Amino acid sequence: MQHLDLDRLVLLALSEPQEPADADHLAECAGCRHDLESLRHVAELGAEGPDLGSLPAPPERIWQRIEAGIAPAETRVVRPRRSRWLLPALAAAVLAVAGTVVVLQRAPAETVTARATLTPLATVPADAGGTVRVLSDGEMLVDVRNLPLTTGFHEVWLIDPDHPTKMIAIGNLAARPDATLPVPPGVDMNRYRLVDISDEPHDGDAAHSGHSLLRGTLTS
Amino acid sequence: MDSDEELAERLRDGDEKALRVAYDRHGATVLYLAQRLLGNRADAEDVTQLTFVAAWTGRDGFDPQRGTMLGWLLGIAKRKAVDRLRSAERYKRVAETVSAQVPAEDETERPDRIVDRLVVADELSRLPADQRRTLELAFFDDLTHPQIAEVTGLPLGTVKSHIRRGMASLRRRWEVDGAAFGSRSTRASRAL
Ligand SMILES: [Zn+2]
Repeated sequence: MQHLDLDRLVLLALSEPQEPADADHLAECAGCRHDLESLRHVAELGAEGPDLGSLPAPPERIWQRIEAGIAPAETRVVRPRRSRWLLPALAAAVLAVAGTVVVLQRAPAETVTARATLTPLATVPADAGGTVRVLSDGEMLVDVRNLPLTTGFHEVWLIDPDHPTKMIAIGNLAARPDATLPVPPGVDMNRYRLVDISDEPHDGDAAHSGHSLLRGTLTS
Repeated sequence: MDSDEELAERLRDGDEKALRVAYDRHGATVLYLAQRLLGNRADAEDVTQLTFVAAWTGRDGFDPQRGTMLGWLLGIAKRKAVDRLRSAERYKRVAETVSAQVPAEDETERPDRIVDRLVVADELSRLPADQRRTLELAFFDDLTHPQIAEVTGLPLGTVKSHIRRGMASLRRRWEVDGAAFGSRSTRASRAL
């Protein structure tokens, strides 16, 4: 049996009309049918694009989160990076020279072990945002701005991004833009590192409403 | 430019800069896939992050003999995105106290097709310029071979051979990455 030659199959795959001789052979030969099918499929995939060269570069913040994610655990939470230590210490020293003691009094409790920048989800106005700092004493300082008004309240959650159904409710923001909330002891902050601020209705249901407003990942 | 083999070796040696190279090269495509699958930017960025962190953790599992780095990364991203879709649905179902329903089967078809499309697009971008140009005219402008010869000024025989070789590379890549990282099984086809 004389098979269809491969130039011919490629032509047919690129929607060249079949001659009667092509059709006759294809009707009998599973091998050529298979080749034609796969070439046709690849041509379809090719025609569907996209042009990879024109995709925008991903934002740098994703890389920063990747970097934080691959850092060894000890540097991630237990030992803050040196630059972060030096700055507050320096600031405290300057203020001390200027005669202020407020910073020095609070300094021991204010070692930041992790922080997150909260960014709005797609449905939330772009100027909404916030920051989260976790202190060595287990307190979490949450500061938000321009959240959409709610008829309920804003709740702070810690989510395990690898298992997004695993989440811990930390507390609500009441009507204030900032709050200090205790993180329950024993929470693994390497795991529950995604901070989520949600809009919760007063419906007596303690579960997450599914309506997230801001999110950010804790990094040291 | 480092080849996939060199990148794989640097990754295995624990070189974080190699992960950055992979991110610069393929991050946009991974993000595109995640966005297409999840339909929301925040989740897509999360999945992109998870993909590269998982690639780092599982770097010993990448074998450049079996498929390309992009194919491998897209395979990870697809699984992460599908996991996230499933748990989001599960979560919704729990909240609605509706009894569990198995997600529709065709859901698993769609991600594979998007991955395949990206893998083919990547291979197209790597073809020699003449082959790529000829195939683009065939795919996107739907030109016949004689029309392509006219537009490009190439002899018809050259157009045909560019198209045959280009299609052969695309099909080989689709078969290799699909078999290595996708759910498709290897299928034998005649060498072109
Ligand atoms: Zn045949």
